[in-house]
Amino acid sequence: MPTGRGSLCATLAQLPSSDNGFRRPPDSFQSTGDTLPGSNMTTDKVIVTNLSALQRKYSTGFQRIHDAVGRLIAADKKRGLTTLVVAIDSAQDMRSVKGSPVTKASDQRQVKAAIDAVWKAHAPDYLMILGAPDVVPMQTLRNPAHGDGDANVPSDLPYACAVPYSSDPSAFLGATRVVGRLPDLVGSGNPAYLVSLLGTAARHRTRPREDYQRYLGLSAQVWEASTALSLSKVFGNSTALQTTPPRGPKWPDAQLALRAHFINCHGAPSTPKYYGQPPGREEYPVAHDAARLKRKVSNGTVIAAECCYGAQLYDPEDSKGQAGICSTYLADGAYGFFGSTTIAYGPSEGNGQADLICQFFLDAVLDGASLGRAALEARQRFAALYTHLDPTDLKTLAQFYLLGDPSVQAVAAVPHALSRTRAFKRTFKGARTTPGARAFRRERLARTGTNLEHSLGSVRAIQARPPVHVTRALNAAAKESGITELARQSYAVSFPKAASGGEMKHFAAPRRGRSVYLLLGEKTESRRVKRVVALAATVQDGAIVHLRRVHSR
Amino acid sequence: MILQGRVVRKRVSTGSKSEHDALVLVTPEGQEYKLRRQEGNPFRDPELDALEGKRVECEGIVRDGQIIMTRWTVLA
Repeated sequence: MPTGRGSLCATLAQLPSSDNGFRRPPDSFQSTGDTLPGSNMTTDKVIVTNLSALQRKYSTGFQRIHDAVGRLIAADKKRGLTTLVVAIDSAQDMRSVKGSPVTKASDQRQVKAAIDAVWKAHAPDYLMILGAPDVVPMQTLRNPAHGDGDANVPSDLPYACAVPYSSDPSAFLGATRVVGRLPDLVGSGNPAYLVSLLGTAARHRTRPREDYQRYLGLSAQVWEASTALSLSKVFGNSTALQTTPPRGPKWPDAQLALRAHFINCHGAPSTPKYYGQPPGREEYPVAHDAARLKRKVSNGTVIAAECCYGAQLYDPEDSKGQAGICSTYLADGAYGFFGSTTIAYGPSEGNGQADLICQFFLDAVLDGASLGRAALEARQRFAALYTHLDPTDLKTLAQFYLLGDPSVQAVAAVPHALSRTRAFKRTFKGARTTPGARAFRRERLARTGTNLEHSLGSVRAIQARPPVHVTRALNAAAKESGITELARQSYAVSFPKAASGGEMKHFAAPRRGRSVYLLLGEKTESRRVKRVVALAATVQDGAIVHLRRVHSR
Repeated sequence: MILQGRVVRKRVSTGSKSEHDALVLVTPEGQEYKLRRQEGNPFRDPELDALEGKRVECEGIVRDGQIIMTRWTVLA
């Protein structure tokens, strides 16, 4: 059990002597912040990691990571952020936050409790998880879309929520924390990768929005219309949309060098490629290939990828040494990657689920949010769209997460005219933004997340037959849609107690009788192609109020 | 890991963005693993089509409900 060793978070005075090969950190590691009771200084950003897991993984190479973290802290300080490192396996560090040290790196319950303790003690504006899941594990949530092939959903969403450990994804509807993960490579003992990512974060610079207005938009051809709609919403046009087939995976250097990438392709576990698909055919040509990204990605690139497993962190040995696309982007200088750990969802026409949460992320980035705030706002905007989250909505919320330093601001916010006046500059000593303004934004995000937690409903599978008229309606819709039934599932919709306060009390009674009935069917589109179609009936007080048809993609 | 079983074609990832037909190994215990060659196309790999309906033994890494095969033998 680690006992106070490697207390990266501590001030130099608190650091233990070098008794375990972990040398005294450089001056840059000296914490300038201390939010322990009685202090009037604040910590803007906390980096949490499992120090002994890192040391085991990198052995003598650990010192390089240690020094790189020091350089990031020094760079943060230069831009006005006080950054603290907390080793969640350190008794001393965890004592300082009134928490218990993690004694087993893979113990998700311990890690969640430790990170919650860190958050309660420091309430930082940014929380950065340092390391891949073999250093700091993701939280394994039950798959609400059970039966789609994923046994569970590895998620960082719980770290963004104040509620304690649970494997139930519906416990985490109200994210309030700005969180991102700066990963290393799963299973690798070479520190160069993580040192490189830490360096990118330390040297990052905020660029004008024009630098991100031109984009690389990649889509499986079968989803061309949906992706075009997404691009139009985010960038105002879809003229640069590229589809596979007919193009890919050898994208011109000039396109790969653009700083905003939006990708809507197929993905698979432990695979360094994304795939396209022509409409109506079971063909999956390669659309995007990690091996083709090296030295092609511009510093500062931000990516939103809707693909199944698009941001899965897997051991490169699973793929003959080739790391995944997300890891490769980050190694090549990208600032952030927003993607999914597992199988993702979206409608065949229009936008939904993965389309929306990815749009919301890029939208916030382009508006000048830090990457971490953009990820949090994406989660909140997505959840706020609904009265209750159905199984695929809930999975979407759980599976998308940010890879990258959450404090990095890629795109400059457009300043208002007053900020150019002498009076403004005098008032704020030349600063474009102030910690106070950030605190207001955090207050707003905390309010939004708290409201969602207290008001949003979610579904749980139940063993109940639909009412006769619902069955009749679903059967009729299935017949008219040419669907052969595969399965049916019933869900109860439940709401938190607080969701019935104030004006919401008017909705409490009818909501008690709300349920969702799903008919999963198969539709033959051509001799070889069959598509699963889900018909969902939302019922309130016995009446069907909503009937929707969701096509698989 | 070494697994034995019968290869069937079935719809996987149903209802998701990446729903597709795939070859799946069904073990005698009823466990199912999507078949994939290391570096092969995970959605459609013509090299594996000949395995459909056969009993096979395959060796590889099991990840997320699939076996990434480095070797396989047709048993019957």
